[in-house]
Formats: sequence, C-alpha cells, structure tokens
Amino acid sequence: MKEVMAVIRMNKINDTKRALNAAGITSFTATGRVQGRGKGLVDYRILHAAEEGVPEAIAQLGDGPRLVPKRLITVVVSDDWVERTVEAIIKTNQTGNAGDGKIFVLPILEAIRVRTGETVTGPSGGNVLDSSGGLQ
Amino acid sequence: MSKLLIRSIVRPEKADAVLKALFEAGYPAVTKVPVFGRGKQRGLKVGEVTYDELPKELLMTVVPEADKDFVVKAVLATAKSSEKGNFGDGKIFISPVDEVYTISSGIKDA
Repeated sequence: MKEVMAVIRMNKINDTKRALNAAGITSFTATGRVQGRGKGLVDYRILHAAEEGVPEAIAQLGDGPRLVPKRLITVVVSDDWVERTVEAIIKTNQTGNAGDGKIFVLPILEAIRVRTGETVTGPSGGNVLDSSGGLQ
Repeated sequence: MSKLLIRSIVRPEKADAVLKALFEAGYPAVTKVPVFGRGKQRGLKVGEVTYDELPKELLMTVVPEADKDFVVKAVLATAKSSEKGNFGDGKIFISPVDEVYTISSGIKDA
C-alpha cells in the first residue's frame, strides 16, 4: 500500500478530483490550504500585487523567504495503482511552469477501517479501503 | 539515492525561524500546514480548564537520506523555545519516501 501525497496549485483541485474519479480512485483526502515554497523560484504575481499595494500580497512577503498557498492531497492506493494515480495527477496539474507542485510516494504499513475495525492489507483496486476490491 | 520526508511539528511562533534556517541551510522546499494537537503532557492544564487542541505548525520537507541529520539539527536548533527546551516545543517525524515527481516536468526525481 502506498500513500501518494501531492502538493498542487489551488485552482487545480477540482480538475484533480475529477481526474482521480475518472481514473477509478474515489477515496482521497484534501487538506484545505497549505503554504509552501519550492526551489525558491519567485512567484511574480505576488511581487506585482505587492508593488501595487494589495495588502494580502504584502502580508505574504514578510521578512523571510515567501510561501505560496497550495493544496495538499493525499491518496492511499495499493502498490499497483500508484503509477495510474501519479499519471492522473501529473496530467491534470502540469502547466510546465515552476510551481506546479510535487508528488511524493510513501509506504503505508497498515490501513484500518474505522467502521468495522478490520485491517485492510491492500486488495487490488484503487480504493484500498474497500476490501471487496470493487469500487462503490 | 532515497529520500526521506521530515515532518516537524513546531510552535507557530517558531515556524518562521525554522523556515528561515532551512532556507539558509539550502533547503528552500517546505510545505507548512496549520495543525492542532496535543502531546505526551495531555495538553495544557490551566486551573480547571484543559486545552488539548494546541495550535502548531506542521512543516514538511523531503530531503536526501544523507542530509537527514543536518536538517534535523537545523530544526532542533531553531524550534526550541529556550536553551533547555520546554514541553510543547514539538516533535520531528521521519518517514521514507519511495518516489518523487515534479509535476511541471513530469520527471521522476532520482
């Protein structure tokens, strides 16, 4: 079982949701609003906005290196679905510019369904927490 | 070389200092998430009231395995609220990362 963790642009969340659904991955978690920075490449929209005196943009600048708002999505899938998930995320989020985000794949040792308390060890299917293997 | 995900839970007022330290140490890529939690002390007790959802910042950064100790040291040095450290200064969790992709290029990082 793997956890696919992706940091993506704020405005891509709906497209990503749709794409994951179309790929057969129904269960996923999105964390509201995270702040991040990448290799330190500058987001010029914030700089321009700050020059024009938009207060939100100035607040982002601060004194340290600036952070850009992003969405964080987490999908837990079985091993053989990782590739498909990563592909779906890349396909919908790729604009080719710096700031598109990153995808991390982490191992998950155990998943337990709260409703029944049973341990799910990774059946085939995108929806790991569905022990029947089929999608609901 | 394999990579590690370092998740540090730090005091909100220390987050900026840690971010700055990481940036200066050459680790610009960080994701910050506001979180709420409690630790081993079961939250804060003030008189009759217990606060068990204390605000913290979760800093996530993925680094090469070889740099782990250096990054952990950098976080430890800046996240402490005093010389000796206090309850509530936070925790650092380290987990393995199997694969890393950059979305803009679609390339899988080595």
